Amino acid sequence: MKRLWMGIFVVVAAANTVGLLHADEVDELAGTIDRHIAARWSEENVVPAPAADDAEFLRRAYLHLTGKIPRVSEVRAFLDDPAPDKRRALVDRLLESPGYIVNFTSVFRSLMIPEAEAEPQFLINVPAFEAWLRVRFADNVPYDETVHELLTTSGSGNDNFAGRNLGPVEPNPAIFYRAKQNKVENVAANVSRLFLGVRLECAQCHDHPFAKWRRQDFWQFAAFFETPAGKIKIPDTDQVVEATYLSGEKAVPPSGTSVRNELATWLTSSENPYFARATVNRLWFHFFGTGLVDPVDDFDADNPASHPELLDELATEFAEHNFDLKYLMRGIVASRAYQLTSRQTDGSQSDPRRFAKKAIQGLTTGQLFDSLAEATGYYESNAERNPLNMNENSERAKFRQLFGNEAGEPANAETTILQALALMNGEFVETATDLEQSTTLAAVVESPFLDTAERVRTLYLAALSRYPSEAELASMVQYVDSGGPSDEPQTALADLFWALLNSSEFILNH
Amino acid sequence: MLKTTRREWLGLTAAGVRGCSFSRWMTRLACDTEEAAERKRSCILLWMPGGPSQMDTFDLKPEHKNGGEFKEIKTSVPGIRFSEHLPQLAQRMNEMAVIRSMSTKEGDHGRATYLMRTGYLPQGPIRHPTMGSLFSKELARDGADLPNFISIAPFRFLSPAAYGPGFLGPQFAPLVVGAGQPGQTDDVDASLQVENLKLSENVTAAQAGARLQLLEQIETGFRAERPGLAVNSHRSAYELAVRMMQAGGAAAFDLSEEPDELRDSYGRNRFGQGCLLARRLVERGVPFVEVSLSSPDGNGAIGWDTHQNNFPAVQSLSEVLDAGWATLMSDLKERGLLDSTLIVWMGEFGRTPVINGNAGRDHFPAAWSTVLAGGGIQGGQVYGQTSEDGMKVTDKPVSTPDLLATICTALGIDPLRQNMSNVGRPLRIVDPDAVPIREILT
Repeated sequence: MKRLWMGIFVVVAAANTVGLLHADEVDELAGTIDRHIAARWSEENVVPAPAADDAEFLRRAYLHLTGKIPRVSEVRAFLDDPAPDKRRALVDRLLESPGYIVNFTSVFRSLMIPEAEAEPQFLINVPAFEAWLRVRFADNVPYDETVHELLTTSGSGNDNFAGRNLGPVEPNPAIFYRAKQNKVENVAANVSRLFLGVRLECAQCHDHPFAKWRRQDFWQFAAFFETPAGKIKIPDTDQVVEATYLSGEKAVPPSGTSVRNELATWLTSSENPYFARATVNRLWFHFFGTGLVDPVDDFDADNPASHPELLDELATEFAEHNFDLKYLMRGIVASRAYQLTSRQTDGSQSDPRRFAKKAIQGLTTGQLFDSLAEATGYYESNAERNPLNMNENSERAKFRQLFGNEAGEPANAETTILQALALMNGEFVETATDLEQSTTLAAVVESPFLDTAERVRTLYLAALSRYPSEAELASMVQYVDSGGPSDEPQTALADLFWALLNSSEFILNH
Repeated sequence: MLKTTRREWLGLTAAGVRGCSFSRWMTRLACDTEEAAERKRSCILLWMPGGPSQMDTFDLKPEHKNGGEFKEIKTSVPGIRFSEHLPQLAQRMNEMAVIRSMSTKEGDHGRATYLMRTGYLPQGPIRHPTMGSLFSKELARDGADLPNFISIAPFRFLSPAAYGPGFLGPQFAPLVVGAGQPGQTDDVDASLQVENLKLSENVTAAQAGARLQLLEQIETGFRAERPGLAVNSHRSAYELAVRMMQAGGAAAFDLSEEPDELRDSYGRNRFGQGCLLARRLVERGVPFVEVSLSSPDGNGAIGWDTHQNNFPAVQSLSEVLDAGWATLMSDLKERGLLDSTLIVWMGEFGRTPVINGNAGRDHFPAAWSTVLAGGGIQGGQVYGQTSEDGMKVTDKPVSTPDLLATICTALGIDPLRQNMSNVGRPLRIVDPDAVPIREILT
């Protein structure tokens, strides 16, 4: 099955390259970002950090675009490549790789139905929803169309028990409604947060003295999901309200269409001041760890954007480019702000909202697991990878328990004790650093043509996607040659690999 | 595996490493453990997921038709009576304050669990921390060998968010033990161990020390150039993990050190042994431990949710509860720890006084009971009252924030202290409208 999917991806990917953007448009978008960000630096006497080197950029771009670190061979090839435009070429390649589809399917799934992580019994619905998203990303469907389809789907949101038999899963966007328990108030609250960046739900129960949105606004918006009537009674009152846009305009569907359809059209329209901004902001958050508006779903007069003009321009360009997510990503990743080092070289860089050094982000459970697997050469069977696999003893499931973000929150950059213990003493890392069981380590130890320095370099490339510095190399070669406490150079290499996999440089996206 | 004491390990580590400076982790650890930290008050929360029936535990109505099958018995305090199935606890009534006038509004498991465990109703994007995270943050000791918040056998299914650190972040997350699913392990002792706390059998102590020093070496450069939360939390998590490994952290969870007789009186089940573990942890200075009793055999059902056959279910749960809780109190008392340990017994709501057609009782938040005992509590009293039929509170109603403010005060925490929330505004530990119940505080 997986092989079949891969085949489809390849065909789609080939078809898509025809539509590659003109390079200048990407440069222009990156230029827009650079102009606004740099203007604030000079206004506020911020000294930006230097540019990231190739290795730093490579690892970061892989994690953001494909959800895992690069292979040793990819690192070597990229670092050796003398082409001046190799970063741009790398991004183009990654955006057309299956890894991109898998990664953003998972990113948007956890945005749209975070319930799947909080409620184990809901996991059964994940494959159908992911199947739907996967096709969207594989075809690079414009984001407004994706959201329009989500809002107007007529499918059933019932539990997809058909998926149990591991056969083909029917893509099903209606799982979104099932995740919100098919309750109009939950759906309304989530739609406004996700796609408009507005927290209407605070007004669900009563008016707040200083908030812009009133209780009536919330229920008027909720009325869109009370189909076909488009009317709803505000709980504990006798007041019935009709579907009304946040602009205050009542929805008047032409006969034969539903209010839901009207909402989808209004919401995803390029005229809508919220939709493009909210989407741009979410994507910005993905790459920078801080939104231009932050928290990302709190667009409010009291919570202004750090760079309002930049947000507006990005939103306009995004809408004009047919809501093409890849266009936005290309521009962001090509920007100077994205390509800064995460090293802090001046105190003025400490405010994350100045984007004067690259922010350090945590890895999601999936990213950490996939990166460990990549570094250590762990082979995960299809059955283990399947989200329907309820086997709590699979390595991925154990990771989910330990590192899982319970409420589906974005990845947190903080490490917990249990995580530290798992990485230090857990079976997975133990196997990965076991001379007889680890693929990567065995390859490094057993290759007769490698000297100690080359073995150390390979382990650095595998775990940290970079070569060791001269000082690191000298010190680690000395340790390995000494044999460490076990008096065995091979075991000492295992010790080094263990230390690299436990380092914050490995565990974080920086 | 190689059995090594901490001192040996330190020695081996120092001898076994060449070419790099002696790790600060090791030296810091050695100094800190020498100093005995000053004891603050601890809290043990006995959490009853599903909602225990007040009518069949602490607020019986034998005269009324709603009363049901159970009889009342005398307690050690004249005039106070409760269920016949809690005979050992009855002997400790002088150390307990029973609140019979809890009055809340949430009758849904998820929302009520969230409310009782965080003090707040779910409000959009705010991620409220569970009380263990809130309180342990205030009671935390510097340089402790064990985490400040340990959760034993939690049943998180009803509201996962109500068991987490919320906006306080993972540094305040509980260390969880005994959360295994039914069938995964029937061995109570094994299920209460911390995973990965011991070195792998293939790694010698000397090697482990050398690895940590390599790690420290790799960290140094990265850390110096990238100051901030992410790198700091990595450091503190690893420090505490190493500290737990070295300072006999695993021993704290080793119940086989306890006499068989004592283990028997706690009850040889997950809750009973969990209470024993709680005592061992509190004894070692852990400020907040919670033990959940979800079913008599700890098999992960919500036993207290007695919509059917209420009486046999509550009876068998009561027997497990009585042995574990009462032994916990006597054991703490013998060790001089009861005065410095607050014990809280509660679930998310109570159950309907009216018995339904399936001999069960349904969800009932309007009038129900909780119990506070031990440190900071004026024992031997009942607070509040319900009507003869149990349907409403007739005296001194207590809200969720009132209860949490009372717990805070008993622990010596100011309930009005603030934490910065994830939505950019500060939030008090307990809603500022809360009024602590002065009458039951010492």
